[in-house]
Parts: sequence; structure tokens; C-alpha cells
Amino acid sequence: MRRIGNLRTALFLARKSIMKGNKWALVFVILALSLSFVNLNFVPAVLSGARDTLEKQLINTLLANVVIDPKDDKYYLDHAQQVVQKIGEVPGVAGVSAHLNTSAFIEYRWKEKDSPSDKGKSGTWAVIGIDPRQEAKVTAIHEHIIEGSYLDENDRDAIVLGIEIAGGDAAQTAPNLTLGGARVGDKVRLTYPNGVQREYRIKGIFRAREMLKVDHLAFVTRQEMASVLGRSIFNDRASQILVRVDETSNEKWLIQEFKDLGISGEIRSSQVYGSALSSMASSFGIISSLISGIALAVAAIVIFIVIYISVLNKRRETGILRAIGIKGEIIIYSYLVQALFYAIVGVVLGWLILHFLLQPYFVAHPLDLPVGLVSLAVEPATVQNSILSLVIAAILAGFVPVLIITRQNIIKTIWGT
Amino acid sequence: MIKVKDLHKVYGKGLTAVHALKDINIEVEPGEFVAIMGRSGSGKSTLLHLLGLLDTPTSGEICIENMNISKLPEKKKVRFRLDKLGYIFQEYSLLSELTALENVYLPALSIVWQNNYKKRATEMLATVGLGERLKHYPNELSGGEQQRVAIARALINEPRILFADEPTANLDATSAQVVLELFGKLNKDLGQTIVMVTHEPDDEKYVDRVIWLKDGLVEKESVSR
Repeated sequence: MRRIGNLRTALFLARKSIMKGNKWALVFVILALSLSFVNLNFVPAVLSGARDTLEKQLINTLLANVVIDPKDDKYYLDHAQQVVQKIGEVPGVAGVSAHLNTSAFIEYRWKEKDSPSDKGKSGTWAVIGIDPRQEAKVTAIHEHIIEGSYLDENDRDAIVLGIEIAGGDAAQTAPNLTLGGARVGDKVRLTYPNGVQREYRIKGIFRAREMLKVDHLAFVTRQEMASVLGRSIFNDRASQILVRVDETSNEKWLIQEFKDLGISGEIRSSQVYGSALSSMASSFGIISSLISGIALAVAAIVIFIVIYISVLNKRRETGILRAIGIKGEIIIYSYLVQALFYAIVGVVLGWLILHFLLQPYFVAHPLDLPVGLVSLAVEPATVQNSILSLVIAAILAGFVPVLIITRQNIIKTIWGT
Repeated sequence: MIKVKDLHKVYGKGLTAVHALKDINIEVEPGEFVAIMGRSGSGKSTLLHLLGLLDTPTSGEICIENMNISKLPEKKKVRFRLDKLGYIFQEYSLLSELTALENVYLPALSIVWQNNYKKRATEMLATVGLGERLKHYPNELSGGEQQRVAIARALINEPRILFADEPTANLDATSAQVVLELFGKLNKDLGQTIVMVTHEPDDEKYVDRVIWLKDGLVEKESVSR
């Protein structure tokens, strides 16, 4: 019963202090807390957004959802057409594409070279043979053509280049490491490792903005690649098979299904395959935690200072409260209720700013980072953690100064002597 | 009602120690209106602080209603202060964020059985002549009115003893007279025990007995009205 009375008094004192206290101080505290909340969430949201962008790019442009590689002791996957057909029939699979991968020495304006030792505009890059129709169901490179057009099934003398091979103003690689501005319609000469030399017309240039690899790739049709490597054998071989799954499907379950079908090869999800991304995500996590930790410390100090000043300003009133018989614990509760009120209102306001102001803004105007266009990815776990952290920080920051004051001698508290 | 035995209060330690009270022995009977008088520094406020449980004696005993309250643990002291004692300060001691009515019923809020605290507070304010000022905040009241609100607040839990520390020191003559007459009325009509510290010789006429302090000792006692 006594506790009810204590709580009633504490709530009454807290309510009156909030309602009748200094309005500007109230606005300042709540604003400081809401901005702290935004701060706690903003950087992790940007980093999560960058990670999501990388992940999406990796899936959309390089690896799809599931990657099937030859066993360690083999160079190629055999019976590629049969495998593609089998996988394509599994429910939940949206597309399958068999790749024939090799590398080639690519030259541009080779006729302008002074001598065979002149590097000119050339370099060695990976070249992938694809079935354009199947590939379009698996990766989204066809959506990233910035000049010209994508390959057709029957193209034999056409090639599509990544922007970092073609070079030019849009490329980020140093000009001497690209073809120095090759354009659609221009010719390039490819020398394959087996000595076969072919000339191709640049049909399209793409810029997928995938940071690690994709924009450094060149694509020809599978038919063309098979003819270069040796049609009779390579028509039914693949260096790698990429599988795109429906959004609702479970990758792990599908991988097990593929294994059960007896498909011979290393079957891995793109997340397992993209280990570079995992380490990047882990680094982002560490950076995010560090920044959040600092933001939380700043928020806790702000709350502490504000409540400490408030307690000091009301030192005499606190003494009077104790002198008229109000228990120290009631006074502590009343400050805790105030701190909790500041924290909750600050969190709600901060969430509104984040959810209705910053998120829509960054969706409309994403950050143009080297990894691609990044918008905020606010994760529920981060929001939950920051709410919890701020509330705990507010309670501690409110508790300590008032505890000090209520432990002092009443006369000293009232008269300051 | 109040029995003080060999009460001693020392501030500080060693060479800088100040003996504010030296072996004080006094008694106050139920229903008595007692004034503690003396020059500045005589120890009268220190004595009132100790009697009101706002401070702890260095040695000696304070018994109220045969209970040695100087030995009570802190939590029980707080409860005793809330239930049995009322305290009025020299300076206006109202909480600025509360109205007159809220200031008065605040000490009753934490006592759950006090469900009619608003009604009682209204009655108390009417008793001190402020029935029309319930919703006024302290900064909207005169010094005398604020002190009367403080008296109403001190009385809300029906204390056995009312302690007043120079309650008229900051008031003009007219307001001071109103406050002292109010004390007299409470004492006479309700039998309220009152212990008041004052340095105004004129206040003597309102009280039953005066205890004179000098240099931390009881100099003399005189029966007044």
C-alpha cells in the first residue's frame, strides 16, 4: 500500500515538473535525445544500406543466389545442358545460366601499335560465354547497359564490355589499365589462351557498379565461346552454373534439393561464396558498433548533465520535500519517471525523424558511393538496441545525481551549508 | 510531549569544531506554544533542526511521545517526520511548480489512506484564510500568503507538533501579525503543540513560554501569556 502512495507522489511530482518546468529545457532535452537516437541509428543504417547494396549487386550481377562450381579436381562441369534442365525444373528456381569462363588478351586500336612490344590499348580480362536469354533470368547485367545493347542468342561477332574494360569518363580505373575509351561499334581483338584470335564489334557497354569484379568482365555468347574453345566438347560443358531462386524460396532447402538430384559439383549459396562480402559486413558491423557506442556515451552524458543541472537547480526544493516528509526514494522515482519520459519522447521523435524524414529522403536521393547507390537500411534489431540503450542511459543518468542529493544532509541540501 | 536530555551538537572537527549546542535539557508539554529565542548564533535554529529530525545530534536524547527519536534509523525518521511533525521554514518554502492547493496536499499524497486529501487541503487553506487562492502558484501570492500556505501544508497530516523556524522573519509587520495570530488560534482552538524559533521580542505575547538560548546553552525560561 505504501508503495502505491510513493508511486502516486512520484508520478505527481514528475508530471508537475515536466508540465510546469522550463519549457526550453524540456525541448532541448527531448531534441538532444531524439538526435542521439537518430545518431545511434543513422550510421549503422548507412552501413547496412551499403552492405545490402553490395549483397544485391553480388546476387544481381555476379553470383545469383546459388553457385555451382566443378569439383576441386575438375576444370568443368560436364553435361551442362542436362544439369541446367534438371535444376530449372525444381520448384522455386527462377532461372539457370551455364557460364563458360576463360580469359583473353583484349586489344583496342591494335592497328595503331608501333611494334609488337607496344602495349597500346590492351589488357587481359575475364571473358564469359553466356546464353543471353538464360542469363537475363539470372543476373541483371542486361539492365545495366549504359551504351549500345545486350547480346542476342545468335550474336557471333559481338561482345559486351564492362565499363572498367572499355574505359572512358565513366570508368573508375586508371585509363592505362583500361582500353582507354572504347565505344559501341568499335572493334576489339581477343587472343584466347589457346591461341585463337577473334575480332568482335562492341555491341554494348555496361556499368553494374558492382565494386569487386563485374564491371571488369566481358561477355560473348556461349556458342561463340564454345567455338573458340572447341565446339564438340565445350558445347555441353560449363565453368560455372548460376541459379536464381524465387524471392519466397529457401536457398538452403534448394541447395539440398540440387544435391539430392545428384548434381556433381560444389553447390554453395552466394553468401557463402562471397566471403569478401562477409568480411566487409563484419568490418561494417565493428565500425557501426564503435560509432553507436560513442553516440550512446554522448547521449548518456547529455542526459546526465541536463538532469544533474536540473537536480542542482532544484536542490533546495529537494531538501524541502525531504523536510516535509517526502521520502528520498519518492524523489528518486520522480526523477526517474522524468528521465524515462524524456527518453521515450526523444526515442519516439527520433524514430519519426528517421522513419518519415530521413528514410524517404534517402530512398529518393540515395548516397552515390563507390559501392553503388546506397539508401538507409534501418534494421529492427539496431532500433531495439538503441531504444534499450537510451532508456537505460537515461535511467542511470537520472538516478546518479538525484541519489547524491538525497543522500546529503537535509539542512545542507536546503541552505547549501 | 518533547523531552530533550543532554543534547549536544558539534559542527566540524578538531580545532575548527563549533559547539552549537551544549547539553541542552528542555521539555515541552502537549498543547503548549513555546518560543525559542536568543541572539543570532545562540543555537536556536540548530535546536529546532534537531527537534524536527532535519539533523542528527552529536550526543544526547530527543524523546517525542516517550520515543527516543534520535536513535531511529533514517527510514523511520522520515516516516515519523511525515506522520507526526509539521515544519515551517523561515524563507518561503513552497514548490514553485505546484499551486497552493497542490503544495498543501503534497505531504498527504504518499499516505494511501488519505483519500480525501484534496478536501482536507481545501479546508486547511480556508482555515489559514486562503480559501480563494487554491489555484494560485507561489509567485502569484504575497510573502504572508505563501507562509500561510506553508502552515496549511505543515498541518495537512495532523501533526502532533508544529515546528516553525523564524516564520515571520521575511514578512512585513501586518503579515507577521496575521501568521502569529494564526498560530495562536491553532494552538488555542485545536490544541496544536507549537515550537517556534523567533528573534522578535514582540512575539513573546503570542506564546505560552519562552526558552532563551545563549551560546548553545539554555540561559533562562520565562512564562509568557
